[in-house]
Amino acid sequence: MFRHGRWLLLCLLCQSAGAAEPDPLNSPQWGAMHSRFLKSEPYVFDDNVKVDAPADAEDSLNVPVAFDASALSGIQEIVVVSDLNPLPHVLNFRPKTVPASLAFRMKLQQGSPIRVAAKTADGVWHVGSTYVNAAGGGCTLPSVGTSSGDWSKTLGQVSANVWERAENNRLRIRVMHPMDTGLASGIPDFYIENLNVKDAQGNLLAELDLYEPISENPMLSLDVGKVTTFKLEGRDNNGNKIAAEVAR
Amino acid sequence: MKQEHSFRQFVLALAVGTALSATTASAAITDQDIADDAKTTADVVSYGLGLQGQRFSPLDKLNTDTVKNLTPAYVLSYGDEKQRGQEAQPLVANGKIFTTASYSRVFAVDAKTGEELWQYDHRLPEGIMPCCDVVNRGGALYDNLFIFATLDAQLVALDQETGKVVWKEKMEDFKAGYSNTAAPIVVKGKVITGVSGGEFGIVGKVEARDAKTGKLVWSRPTVEGHMGTLDGKDNGITGETNKSWPGDLWKTGGAATWLGGTYDAETDSLFFGTGNPSPWNSHLRPGDNLYSSSVLAINPDDGKIKWHYQWTPHDGWDFDGVNEFIPFDLKKEDGTVIKAGGHADRNGFFYVLDRTNGKLINATPFVNQITWAKGIDLKTGRPEYIDDNRPGKPGEGADKGTSVFSAPSFLGGKNWMPMAYNPNTELFYVPANEWGMDIWNEPISYKKGAAYLGAGFTIKPLNEDYIGALRAVDPKTGKIVWEAKNKAPLWGGVLTTAGNLVFTGTPEGYLKAFDAKTGAELWKFQTGSGVVGIPVTWEQDGEQFVAVPSGWGGAVPLWGGEVAKSVKHLNQGGSLWVFKLPKTS
Repeated sequence: MFRHGRWLLLCLLCQSAGAAEPDPLNSPQWGAMHSRFLKSEPYVFDDNVKVDAPADAEDSLNVPVAFDASALSGIQEIVVVSDLNPLPHVLNFRPKTVPASLAFRMKLQQGSPIRVAAKTADGVWHVGSTYVNAAGGGCTLPSVGTSSGDWSKTLGQVSANVWERAENNRLRIRVMHPMDTGLASGIPDFYIENLNVKDAQGNLLAELDLYEPISENPMLSLDVGKVTTFKLEGRDNNGNKIAAEVAR
Repeated sequence: MKQEHSFRQFVLALAVGTALSATTASAAITDQDIADDAKTTADVVSYGLGLQGQRFSPLDKLNTDTVKNLTPAYVLSYGDEKQRGQEAQPLVANGKIFTTASYSRVFAVDAKTGEELWQYDHRLPEGIMPCCDVVNRGGALYDNLFIFATLDAQLVALDQETGKVVWKEKMEDFKAGYSNTAAPIVVKGKVITGVSGGEFGIVGKVEARDAKTGKLVWSRPTVEGHMGTLDGKDNGITGETNKSWPGDLWKTGGAATWLGGTYDAETDSLFFGTGNPSPWNSHLRPGDNLYSSSVLAINPDDGKIKWHYQWTPHDGWDFDGVNEFIPFDLKKEDGTVIKAGGHADRNGFFYVLDRTNGKLINATPFVNQITWAKGIDLKTGRPEYIDDNRPGKPGEGADKGTSVFSAPSFLGGKNWMPMAYNPNTELFYVPANEWGMDIWNEPISYKKGAAYLGAGFTIKPLNEDYIGALRAVDPKTGKIVWEAKNKAPLWGGVLTTAGNLVFTGTPEGYLKAFDAKTGAELWKFQTGSGVVGIPVTWEQDGEQFVAVPSGWGGAVPLWGGEVAKSVKHLNQGGSLWVFKLPKTS
């Protein structure tokens, strides 16, 4: 009886969440993405989440993606997934005091939708999508750093730049790291797990969880309000620490 | 203790359903669990089956009568192309088996089904410098952590449930020749480790870190003249600078603590062995070269040295001295009990010391041929050297000194593979090897990150039909009670049990069980690759289990000289074999 009741409850939730809303990209994997990464929580496809990526991946190892969800308010977390990648989870972004906008580069194994889902305070995911065609092979190649054996000399080194702008200053970070996916034969997964961006006083501006599909030597750009001096703190899946200070 | 605990939880679980199984799975490993490890039979939470390292299990379901029914339960392949020597000792706790593997990998396995739960592959840089194969000998459990050391000299703590890194600390600079292959031990909340790299002119040390955070507590260098630390402050120089080393050679003096150590709660002492002095060419460093080729008794609270005993003063044969020092109760004929410790050195002698003060009680050969010393003087505690058997000094302008034939070889009467002590039979079970070497000295100077030997060598078997010999040594007399010969050199650890059994592996691929009193071979199983790992046993759901890693490798195929004839056909592997005695038998 009890079990039966729970099923009913689940079904009600499904309907109210509009799970039946069709995927504009008609991807066979969207249902799986929704249950696995959005925990089957309510969602809407929403043009307020803008996703910008090239129609064709000219370099499958470095597909530039930018999103802007700053039209929404009260964002708790943003999850980026790529339906047809062998490792679909790309990143999580939790903007604390900065706009919900980010640019990065990623690896694509084949043509795939790229989803940016922003969860607002009411618990609903607002999903923006775009489709990128790719010839493939981005996730199963060893990183350049690993192939050359040079990665350990530069591991965790950070370079960055700050541009002062009227509305929002722009911060660009690059962290040296192979970001190996574990799918290339004999090379275990090795990637930056998390990166926190703070101001000079240590106040948290944004948190990032990165996953294997992020391109080698991750390049991340974000809008940062009026802040000009930053601290970066993070770690990879081997426990190697990343720590840097950035000043304009 | 542990066993009763889980039994009680089992009864509760029956009463209220399966909700409790989650709490069982995450039971944190405590100092008490580690202190009791030698007595508890449902888990193996430390290297050595207890910090004394006796490798004795009180289990007796599996015994000389029942061992014939020991059957495979499951096997896990480590996969990958990284099939090199598998020298680890598995650990067992909370229904999981944890084991390390070649190339600094870790596997966690469901102890019921053998299914892999998680795997951690440490990313190694290109320039690592392990001298003797890319092995790892095991980890330590503490709290929710599995702690192990890597070939690039890092100490990594993984979450037992997920395999995710909780903390990681750099132990030393791998580019200077440091690496690490030994299993850490946890004593009173501190994880205690050594370092490898004695072939590269590093300086050995023993270090203690907070096991929950990895924060360094104390560091104790093992070469005289170097400063120790406690809580970030100077804590006294080791020994006395230049007392037993000439010039600046102590600055690159070796004495690597590459095999880890044991701990004895009764005397509250860590026992860490130290390796060869650097370089091998002993004519460059007249003196005893303290504290190389020794055992150090260290206070676990502050890292101070309580006493030392040097097995091979002024070592000129790479006899090293890291082999384990196992605390045991030596029962004299008059009924008195001496707190003793046993040690089988690479130099061919089996030593019994008083572990309260390091005084020599007895030293006897456990191999058939020893060329470098007539014996060990029981009064002075020093070897009676045969001076002609020290490899000669290279003459002015010569590229080589006089070569000598020395037995044992530098691979030792016994190498790293841990022996076991059975308090019921009162015997040590020593995996010994009979081999010698031609060895000569060469001029050498130190260069950071380069091999620092100043010697050349080639190893030769002493007998046609065997190299390895598992030997039961009576520590009261030094007599060899029985031996079991093996064609290839023995390179795996030993386990003994209250079931009157001794287990060890062979390079030919067998895990074997022997009668602990007679040496009769009672059981063997072919694992498909050489067994150079360390067997363990535990009880689970009323059945006794045995686990051992299989995978040929280690130093022998890399350095083995003529020995290669008996091992070159052996194939590599990488798997964890688990056996059990089924209930029905």
